[in-house]
Amino acid sequence: MAAPRPAERPRPTLLLLAAAALTLLTLHIRGAAPLDAFQQGLRDILEPLRSVTDTATDPIQTAWNGIFGYEDLRAENERLAVELARLRGRSVTDAADRELLERLLGEVGIDYTQTDTVVVRILGTPPGNFGTHRIEVDAGTDDGLSEGLAVVTGAGLVGRLEQVDRSRSTVILATHPKFLVGVRLVDSQDEGLARGTGRGTLKIEAGIRLDADIGWNEAVVTSGGRSLLPPDIPVGHVIDTDEHAEYERSVVIDLNADLESLSFLNVVLAHPEGDPLDVESGPTEGPRP
Amino acid sequence: MTLRLRVLLVLVTAVALEGTLLDELRVGGVSVELLLLVAVLTGYHGGPERGAITAFFAGLLHDSIVGAPLGLHALVYPPLVVAVSSLELRMLRSTPVTDGLAVLAAVAAGQGLASAVGMLFGLLGPTPQEFVRQAVLAGILTAVVAAPVNRVVRWAATSGLPGTIEIHRGAG
Repeated sequence: MAAPRPAERPRPTLLLLAAAALTLLTLHIRGAAPLDAFQQGLRDILEPLRSVTDTATDPIQTAWNGIFGYEDLRAENERLAVELARLRGRSVTDAADRELLERLLGEVGIDYTQTDTVVVRILGTPPGNFGTHRIEVDAGTDDGLSEGLAVVTGAGLVGRLEQVDRSRSTVILATHPKFLVGVRLVDSQDEGLARGTGRGTLKIEAGIRLDADIGWNEAVVTSGGRSLLPPDIPVGHVIDTDEHAEYERSVVIDLNADLESLSFLNVVLAHPEGDPLDVESGPTEGPRP
Repeated sequence: MTLRLRVLLVLVTAVALEGTLLDELRVGGVSVELLLLVAVLTGYHGGPERGAITAFFAGLLHDSIVGAPLGLHALVYPPLVVAVSSLELRMLRSTPVTDGLAVLAAVAAGQGLASAVGMLFGLLGPTPQEFVRQAVLAGILTAVVAAPVNRVVRWAATSGLPGTIEIHRGAG
């Protein structure tokens, strides 16, 4: 049992602390810059320690993963073996698919490969157990990165930078249910607003005409315009056209990029022209979309 | 060293450990909730008021390193710590097993409350299945490291308090 305590008044203290926390929370969500700076400063102070710990604990981590991650590793190995077999089977059609994609992208003047990017390495998940669908990368403001920049692989969109410190950043993945992106269907040229579903796909929730002629497997790219992300980044392909919708179509997109086995990513340096306060900063978004 | 300095030292050490070493050593993608543990143990040893104040600052530090909006965990931790401290006062007897279970329950409750408050503010929490797995695992991992942390927090939080007086009713 704990030691006896002097007379305490936890209720007024608790109310005072709750009021202080709610005030801070409200200010932060409304975008108070000093609070962001405080948090970023604290993470920057910890950064050298984290780097040293990363290096020092590498052997321990390897042994740790060997003990606790063996089953995951074996499952991953089996998954990759199946994937390899599938890819070998598809090697002939891949060339044709690639040609088709290039032709489709070429038709709308896409020069996705010409954008300036910074290569970043994935460090893992951000500290703590709070939040999902986020990863941490090893570059930050010192490398010219800023919040909102698109994160891609050779296959297409992965997410965008959500939190940028001096030498680390957090990426919110495109599958996050709070991730919103303006997209365009390459064939039908319809544009809409896609949202992550939390399950490896995106769903276009608004903007698609009921009578739009959408093909299964149709390529989808970012729309640009007033969107926060640059235009013409490949997003994925249509896997559900929802053609029998009576009120609003919900087209489902399968992401091109495989989010399960990433090691390195590219951050697209170019911010799009136009108003950054666009459709992607939906009304229920947090401090920064 | 004054009590405030001791608690500050423990909090700074905890934030450094949680953001570095403990973040590297994850089991099933889940890490130890050290700051929550320090807050709960401060409430246990130092009383609800002292615990609540420590929990508030532990929450602010936790918000900063995990990238949550500032104030989210600071809103959740103090009532939790006061609840644990009040429950502890009403316990007739405590054993290492009940203490361990209390830590497990407190950490799981802390995670659940943080997710719930986060969702109220439009932040995504894990799916229900993932949440249960994460909360239980975090509770177990945190309970495992609770014993050594308990000694440090007791040293930090009981400064200036009178010693424990054990009262036993005579047999027969």
